[in-house]
Amino acid sequence: MSFTSWEFAVLLASVFALYWRLPWRGRIWLLLGASYFFYGAWDARFLALHFTTTIVDFYAALAMERRRVALGKVAVMTSLPALWMLGCKAVHVQGHDVAWQHLVPVIALPVLFCTLYTLLWRVPEQRQRKAFLLLSLGSNLVVLGFFKYFNFFADSLVRALGVLGWEAGWTLPHILLPVGISFYTFQAMSYTIDVYRGETKAVADFPLFAAFLAFFPQLVAGPIERAHQMLPQFSTPRMWEPAVFHRGARLLLFGFFKKVFVGDNCALLANYAFAPDTPLNAQWALLGVLAFAVQIYGDFSGYTDIARGSAQLLGFRLNHNFRLPYFAQGPSDFWRRWHITLSAWFRDYVYIPLGGNRGGTFATMRNLGLTMVLAGLWHGANWTFILWGAYHGVLLILFRLVPPLHALESAKSAPRVFLGTGLMFALTLVGWAIFRCGSLAQLGDWFAAFAHWDGGGAAGLSKPAIGEALPAAVQSAAVGWRSPALWFAIHATPLALLQFAARRRDDEVEIDHWPWIGRGLLYGFMFLAIASSTGGEVEFIYFQF
Amino acid sequence: MRRTFTHSFLLIVVLLAGAELAMRTFYARGLSGRFDYGYHPTAGFQENADGSVNLVRAGGRKFLPQQYRQRKPDGTFRIMVVGDSVPRGPSLRDAYAAKVAELLRQRGISAEGWNLCLPGYGAQRCHIVLQKALNYSPDFVIRHLNNSNEYEDERERRRSQERRDWHPNNTLMMSVLVRRLHEIKTENIFWPLLPEKIRAQQGVNDAAAETAASMDEERIRVWKERVRDFLAQDIAACREAGVPMLLVTQVRVRGSGKESTMDDSGLDALAESFAAPDVAVLSMKQALSALDFVPLFMDTAHLLPKGHEVLAGAIVEKMDRTGALRQTGAAVRKP
Repeated sequence: MSFTSWEFAVLLASVFALYWRLPWRGRIWLLLGASYFFYGAWDARFLALHFTTTIVDFYAALAMERRRVALGKVAVMTSLPALWMLGCKAVHVQGHDVAWQHLVPVIALPVLFCTLYTLLWRVPEQRQRKAFLLLSLGSNLVVLGFFKYFNFFADSLVRALGVLGWEAGWTLPHILLPVGISFYTFQAMSYTIDVYRGETKAVADFPLFAAFLAFFPQLVAGPIERAHQMLPQFSTPRMWEPAVFHRGARLLLFGFFKKVFVGDNCALLANYAFAPDTPLNAQWALLGVLAFAVQIYGDFSGYTDIARGSAQLLGFRLNHNFRLPYFAQGPSDFWRRWHITLSAWFRDYVYIPLGGNRGGTFATMRNLGLTMVLAGLWHGANWTFILWGAYHGVLLILFRLVPPLHALESAKSAPRVFLGTGLMFALTLVGWAIFRCGSLAQLGDWFAAFAHWDGGGAAGLSKPAIGEALPAAVQSAAVGWRSPALWFAIHATPLALLQFAARRRDDEVEIDHWPWIGRGLLYGFMFLAIASSTGGEVEFIYFQF
Repeated sequence: MRRTFTHSFLLIVVLLAGAELAMRTFYARGLSGRFDYGYHPTAGFQENADGSVNLVRAGGRKFLPQQYRQRKPDGTFRIMVVGDSVPRGPSLRDAYAAKVAELLRQRGISAEGWNLCLPGYGAQRCHIVLQKALNYSPDFVIRHLNNSNEYEDERERRRSQERRDWHPNNTLMMSVLVRRLHEIKTENIFWPLLPEKIRAQQGVNDAAAETAASMDEERIRVWKERVRDFLAQDIAACREAGVPMLLVTQVRVRGSGKESTMDDSGLDALAESFAAPDVAVLSMKQALSALDFVPLFMDTAHLLPKGHEVLAGAIVEKMDRTGALRQTGAAVRKP
């Protein structure tokens, strides 16, 4: 169920209408039910995976605080994924069939988990916490690794063997990627790590923990929330006040504006420019990457605003994920502004545990590089994502090692701020080209396009008659770029103006300082811009991660 | 306690509701059939109480603004040209409908040349225009035959059917203001600014897949049949009303400079298959082939004013030769 579908509007309105009328416990159950419905609407089978993560992390965290649960109860709970899958098999949803091999792991889960659970309680007490942490991390990483990376690594292995002259005749299974798996497994891991570190108390209330991990506004594409910030919001009743509604509605409006008006319309140009068969010239290479930069920001920050707005309507405050990222003066600054919750996750759970900047220059550079490569890999199973992560790692290292660049990142004077921002934006664009290209060969073509500053274009043609093709020369030429550039300007400029107006507030949504008439006119413009842009539903980019 | 609804929210609700109400109240007539995209049965003929008729728009496309008497004045020879953007011309004055009337007036015939041509109109929508036009007593109908608009006919038919039901996705489009805005954006920004290749990738609610669709053999067959069927219906309707017709067949210029040739895309043969005493045929290819035709065209299909003038001359000559002007009582063929 996409945020831009009418089904989501109905779900959110229904949950909102019911939520504030229910007692606290009823609200938890309502959120849990709505969240599972929301997630199951994509593919009900993958709810079994979510149950598994929830159950494993719930018991592992409790065990870390030496709270032992009766084995029978654990066995019953760990049987739920298998029961759910059997239910899915019985129902027979078209295209979502459950094969017997799908049932094997979920049927094995109770036996495997109960065995490990019993064995780990026998581990000496001083190592027990770590053992249960490893159980949690291991299960999360195995699930994530299998569903997200199996095809990629297996395919890479087959190719590597082919290069070495070994023709592996394996038939690799095609594994579907569950929506939002990277987001909820990272949130689950942050919970167990925080419990292990003593930064968060383990939750003994299973429905509450399940609602926290499945909270539908941020389930499929974040923000990746921390338990110590979110769990208290679940465990204390939210209070209704009009300001909650105002802020939530405003976030929703801004989110839909960024997604539907800005992101989806810029996507038309980016999708064209980065299609494998598009003949590119320099103008199109530039326009395409600019369009993608605005698209991905509009799309993802729009998603985040809708998530924050939806959560806000239910009284929850989610973290910011963006703070005007294209105003960054350097890569460190960029990652403090772009996908903030993911950056913070990698900082707290990868970079700092690796040693952070405590081990000298070389170790710091190594830690930065490794962290960024993993951050790139998190985005997807493709060499271009790994390269994108590595590229940002190199930028981070360069801006630390090269004094003029380092100075630029922390500059305060207007010309140097302008220079730093411009340079970082240009470097970010190169990064987006790496990110967006489907293969390294396509990336090479994108760079090569900058050698061709010809005009290109198929203007002045009249329509073909029935059955008549456009001339082949015209079909293969790059189309004119000036009109599409105007299309881009029409859709990107309002966002740029909003960002400029909010540059001192770090968030476009913060316009409380505007006079109420100005706010009203802005809301009207946004509403009409959204309404005039509705076409088909366009999926959010980050859902695939 | 703070208000449930803020001033800014109320302001925008009032403004939007006011705009919606104003459109529905003051532009009700203009909105009638607005979203039928040429498939509305009244087809843009706005009849006034004083006995005149304004040619306003057919569906989403505007006629070149004209006003005539609903009842044909005595002694007037009324010619109606039905077609697409080619006969529509660069302006009312420069299109061949006006030039034919002008040539006839020079011969002493009190002639009216109605320009009922709309860009992108294919066989089906031209037929709707023609059916309505026959209510205004034409003496002669010129049907400009082209076959490059069938995709648009199909697309506009789809658009005219879209967003009519009570599906939740259509909720916003129930508002005339929103729908009009959506239409303006689609027609005035989306289509002109984004080349066909880009629109083709979107593929939804879009003119774009035109090239791809035009290569689909089954669809080509269906479109060709449709052009023939509607042309047959046009002829039958005119015949029933006792109105003689002239079929003018479109050409396309191939190549450039001295290598240029004209291609009738099979339209000449199609028109000839309907030739009859009350249905004359004028092939643009034949009419222009003896001339240096390239300077007459603004692109591969559309004529410049000079081209309209030449074609108007050929049409009058054809009318004269086929006896269409005899009923005027003033037609004397010049040597």
